[in-house]
Amino acid sequence: MGEYNEYLGVFIDESKEYIQLLNDSLLELEKNASDVEQVNRAFRALHTLKGMAGTMGFEKLAKLCHRMENYLDAVRSGKVEITSDELDYLFAGLDMIDKMLQSIVNSGSDDIAEDINGLVEVFERIAAGEKIKKSIRKEEQERLKEPEFVRQENMSKTVVGEGFTQEVIKDVLEEAAKKNIPAYHIVVSLQEGTQLKSARMYMVFHTLEEIGVEIIHSIPSVEDIENEKFDLNVELIGVGNVSQEKIYEKVMGVSEVKNVTVKPLKIELEKVAPEASEKKGNDEDKSKEQKRVKVTQTVRVDTEKLDTLMNLMGELVIARSRIADILKKYNIKEVDESLAQLSRITLDLQNIVMKVRMVPIEFVFNRFPRMVRDLSRNLGKEINFVMRGEETELDRTFVEVIGDPLVHLIRNAIDHGIETKEERIANGKPPIGTVTLSARHEGNNVVIEVEDDGRGMSREKIIKKAVERGLVTEEKAAALPDEKVFEFVFLPGFSTKEQVSELSGRGVGMDVVKNTVESLNGSVTIESKVGKGTKVSIRLPLTLAIIQALLVKVNNYVYAIPISIIDSTLIISREEIKVVQNEEVIVIRGEVIPLIKLWRVFDMSHEETPNEMNVVVVKSGARKFGLTVDTLIGQEDIVIKSLGKIFSDVKIFSGGATLGDGSIALILDVANIVESI
Amino acid sequence: MEEIIEFEVLVFKALNQEMAINVEMVEIVIEQTEITPVPRARKIVEGVINLRGKIIPVISLPVLLANEGASIYKKIIITKVEDVEFGLMVDEVVGVLRVNSNELETNLGKMNTYGKKAKGLIKKDSRLIVYLNLEEILKEITGSEVA
Repeated sequence: MGEYNEYLGVFIDESKEYIQLLNDSLLELEKNASDVEQVNRAFRALHTLKGMAGTMGFEKLAKLCHRMENYLDAVRSGKVEITSDELDYLFAGLDMIDKMLQSIVNSGSDDIAEDINGLVEVFERIAAGEKIKKSIRKEEQERLKEPEFVRQENMSKTVVGEGFTQEVIKDVLEEAAKKNIPAYHIVVSLQEGTQLKSARMYMVFHTLEEIGVEIIHSIPSVEDIENEKFDLNVELIGVGNVSQEKIYEKVMGVSEVKNVTVKPLKIELEKVAPEASEKKGNDEDKSKEQKRVKVTQTVRVDTEKLDTLMNLMGELVIARSRIADILKKYNIKEVDESLAQLSRITLDLQNIVMKVRMVPIEFVFNRFPRMVRDLSRNLGKEINFVMRGEETELDRTFVEVIGDPLVHLIRNAIDHGIETKEERIANGKPPIGTVTLSARHEGNNVVIEVEDDGRGMSREKIIKKAVERGLVTEEKAAALPDEKVFEFVFLPGFSTKEQVSELSGRGVGMDVVKNTVESLNGSVTIESKVGKGTKVSIRLPLTLAIIQALLVKVNNYVYAIPISIIDSTLIISREEIKVVQNEEVIVIRGEVIPLIKLWRVFDMSHEETPNEMNVVVVKSGARKFGLTVDTLIGQEDIVIKSLGKIFSDVKIFSGGATLGDGSIALILDVANIVESI
Repeated sequence: MEEIIEFEVLVFKALNQEMAINVEMVEIVIEQTEITPVPRARKIVEGVINLRGKIIPVISLPVLLANEGASIYKKIIITKVEDVEFGLMVDEVVGVLRVNSNELETNLGKMNTYGKKAKGLIKKDSRLIVYLNLEEILKEITGSEVA
């Protein structure tokens, strides 16, 4: 059972990949229905899914995949056409497969509320195409259905038998010997460059079953064959009352089979054992070899282990700089070289550990083509959706969180940015709107942009709204640069229903977007031109675990402020503080900035207003605040650590970091500090 | 017949008396070290320490048990309860003691000044040792019951 569960995890992961593959192919097909390669890809994905589902005993899932596969097979062979109607069915099928998989994840069963038989029937009917061909097609299906069933049975046997393969082989061979049925060792080689290798092998299996050869064992395993995880050669052991020649002839009859060797296995009882054990030895060698290959390919690792690794890495870096600091005092020449080497190694190690945590942003982007398709259909807008830089890698923690903000932005772009076709034509724009989603590395950041060529945002309307809400005076607003004006839409509830079309919705969820991005130590900016379009840029650090921070001192304790939110630092004198509406503020280049005295936030006894103070100007949302501190220490890379459950009520710190000298710096959560005053 | 269970406790001194916690929950005992205060945290939390790169909260037993200000302390006992690690500031560590369950008086009546925070009183020879309930203490410091 444990083994089964192990398989289930792999099954779910791989199924997800195949569902994604299928999704991609269908979307490509939608653009170009005659793209045979995509039909093939979709077919292969479904075929593999079906096989895996069958092996795992998810019969409904297998059934649905099977029917969809049949339909695509008919398309491939040119029997039926593929149109947008059929594509809709395929998408519906895909959704249902997805649902079933979800249900498997949740409850371990592929039972879902919806009835799959309706869709199954639809696929049967469209696979049959025109009425005349219907009967022929049905027959074919009937024919296909049976071997399919047999094969599944066979496969599950193989899987169950994996653990005690040798015994199984021995048993069956002995059994065969008793009944006087010959056993064969069959080696099948496929032609080089064979497409659909697993499908070919399936044909081989099928052919053998048909002539009455029962396959007992195969190298590689049936599962691997299903997943095309084999080169061109497959070794089989089978028993059946069939002549050597017939096997050869039949298997050679399968297209793209290059070579077949059929050797009878000696099955005199005494000789079976050594033969089998020799075989077994071979098997073991081979499977070991295979395993080794697999390990170098990919390993699935618990993310917790990665986090621990990252943590230890951080400690190592800190320990190294401590040693370096200490040794500097004594100025020992002999250690310089080894210390330099240690530094290089730790740096390399750090880079690798960081990379291990990185995943391509593809994982997030993947779901958008489908979303855009559905949205553009619902809204009746034609959209050319372009994705660039899917291979850009970023910390896996971001991948989980950044999806929702991007959904918001893309939705906004399509719903509110892109105009209707008529409007676009009237404005002399191409009738099809373009939405571009791109990602790229820029220095130590990842930049993700959502750009549309829609109607853009009106500066005047935003200012009007901001003035209405008392956020800014009209005169001030006139002087604000565009990017400052657009920052207003990030305020919660800025957009309301009474706003006219050009603005509507732009503010919905924008505060959520901003908050999410900022919680990841990133930033969001908007560029927009009326009539030309809007571009929203999200800038994220490469990793969450290590951030650059400014270390400051208050009452001799060290605190860290993330560099990403710092605007500037300055020294002010007591006289520069002005009081506006009972609030202490400072004025920098005409900008009024509220002053937050950190010692007050921390409830520390401290001289209330010293003669001179260091001020760190930070950004929170669209606003700036000045934090007063005693001294600025400097910039440093720090490893963020959670303060844990016991401090869950302390909102003003987002975590802590251990410094080179062993002391602890608490990391300020500026957004919450601002709220707390 | 009540079954007699034997268990081990770590005995230490705090608030001028002997106290004990289950030895299985003790990770390590360290010497006093620099404690970084965490502003705005609850009063019972003295601050955080850096234990081999881990940031661990430290609880002041006097504040927790008697609402007294932090006294001089010499050791920090690092404990792990329900996967949460935290340190207890104590005056002195006495040692490990083997206790029979019949030596533990759980019905303290009026004598119980620590409420749920104590599981009972260990009577061993002439010694009286307060046996603390770390699970309950954790509940209190994680704020499920805000003091």
